[in-house]
Amino acid sequence: MSNVHTGELLNFQDYSPEHNDRSARIEVEAVHTNQYMSNPNYGFEEPKNVDEPEAAPQAGNHNFWTIEYYQKYFDVHTNEVVERIISSVLPQKVSRNYFDERIKGKPDLYGPIWISVTLIFTIAVSGNIANYLQNANKAVHWRYDFHLVSYAATAILGYVWLVPLALWAALKWTVVPEGQDEIETQVSNTPSMMSLFCLYGYSLSIYIPVAILWTIQVSWLQWLFVLMAAFVSGAVLIFWLLPALRKSRYFPIVVGSILAFHFLLATGFMLFFFHVPSTGDIPVSVGSSTVKV
Amino acid sequence: MTTFDSKYDMFPAGDVGIVEGEMNIPSRGVPSGENMEFNTLDEPIKETFMRDLRAVGNKFYHVLIPREKTSLLKEWDLWGPLLLCTLMATILQGSTERADNSNDGGPEFAEVFVLVWIGAAIVTANSKLLGGNISFFQSVCVLGYCLFPIALALVICRIILFTTQNSFLFFLRLVISMVGFIWATFAATKFLGDSQPEGKKGLAVYPICLFYFILSWLVVSHSNV
Repeated sequence: MSNVHTGELLNFQDYSPEHNDRSARIEVEAVHTNQYMSNPNYGFEEPKNVDEPEAAPQAGNHNFWTIEYYQKYFDVHTNEVVERIISSVLPQKVSRNYFDERIKGKPDLYGPIWISVTLIFTIAVSGNIANYLQNANKAVHWRYDFHLVSYAATAILGYVWLVPLALWAALKWTVVPEGQDEIETQVSNTPSMMSLFCLYGYSLSIYIPVAILWTIQVSWLQWLFVLMAAFVSGAVLIFWLLPALRKSRYFPIVVGSILAFHFLLATGFMLFFFHVPSTGDIPVSVGSSTVKV
Repeated sequence: MTTFDSKYDMFPAGDVGIVEGEMNIPSRGVPSGENMEFNTLDEPIKETFMRDLRAVGNKFYHVLIPREKTSLLKEWDLWGPLLLCTLMATILQGSTERADNSNDGGPEFAEVFVLVWIGAAIVTANSKLLGGNISFFQSVCVLGYCLFPIALALVICRIILFTTQNSFLFFLRLVISMVGFIWATFAATKFLGDSQPEGKKGLAVYPICLFYFILSWLVVSHSNV
């Protein structure tokens, strides 16, 4: 294609319309001859077939800034979302490779986003109820605290975005190549960032009923719920991710940190929003608020 | 948008042909029923104002009795949502004289405002992402106007709060705001439900429920006397 010499470019030339026509025609012919030349040569390797799977989604792809680009992450039906929520709590209800077949192939963002938002407001509302129950017997004029919403939002949104990102990076860069031939299959086995976001979002769904149950002001029951919720959803996470995690060089560390973060989140929720506050807080609130008559 | 584009495509680029038409002065033309164009230049301000106000009031009426949906969906405006949102934010904001009190946890004026508008925008974006065929402002208009039952519940709760509180009155406020919540959700679902494809209605309705539930929670929790 680049048959034009620099000398030709730099010289002054007379660009009459005919000249332009002729040069264009020559280039078109050159392209054609190139294709005819290349096809018989590389026909047996079928270079077109390699391109086609990549080119097909490219045609369906929309610009990053358009709404159509994101619509593929919201292309779910009601029963699919319900099924995914159930599978995040009770994995034995669905087939064993549900994650590989469905979630990895078609991750959605509807579930994670709305589960997170629901959890934020569930925690804020039931945190207020818990606070009310703690103060029910004291002669304190209780007022609700709207700003629990912002604390809960910070914690949950941070968790749901940062932890999958870190996990994705960890899986991407600590994968041990088992053999030269298997490199390609391993790359496809590493879950995509979107499917990790999806999985983590759905794994939070068990905290929604638990957040309502945390309002019961019995300390050992609250701790029991923490352990139960973190164990169930952490176990489901590990269960779905196990094939990918096995390939990591630091398999125990990654699994340990996934579980640790999950326990940390549950414990943080419980202690911050639902547990009886430390005794240092109570005199302040009693002292400054109006006493019921 | 799609209808606009398809209309545009119907005319081939170079082949326009002869353009013909008549030029009339619109005010001289024979007024024909509903399509009569208003000449608002020489009418009193009161009439202009009352006409807009009547349009807003008419929409409120349709929210309370959600039977036909053309008035809210076709001629959207944001006056009603603005009025409702300002009213709710004014009543719900934490009292200023107790601002230093750590236990006074009501939302600020701006927080209610942001919650309503950003919330409506997010719910609308959700229905757009799910593939609903409704324009952005139509949906925001409907969501805003459907706040009316909740705002009404807030005003009633505010009146109840003037009396001495006991647990029965709290229960009454809870019931009133629940009724407002159900009413608002029902109306919004009625207006917006049909815009979604089959099988996704639940996904579109759930965020609407959540949106109104949060606002109803603010209404029932509001107790600053």
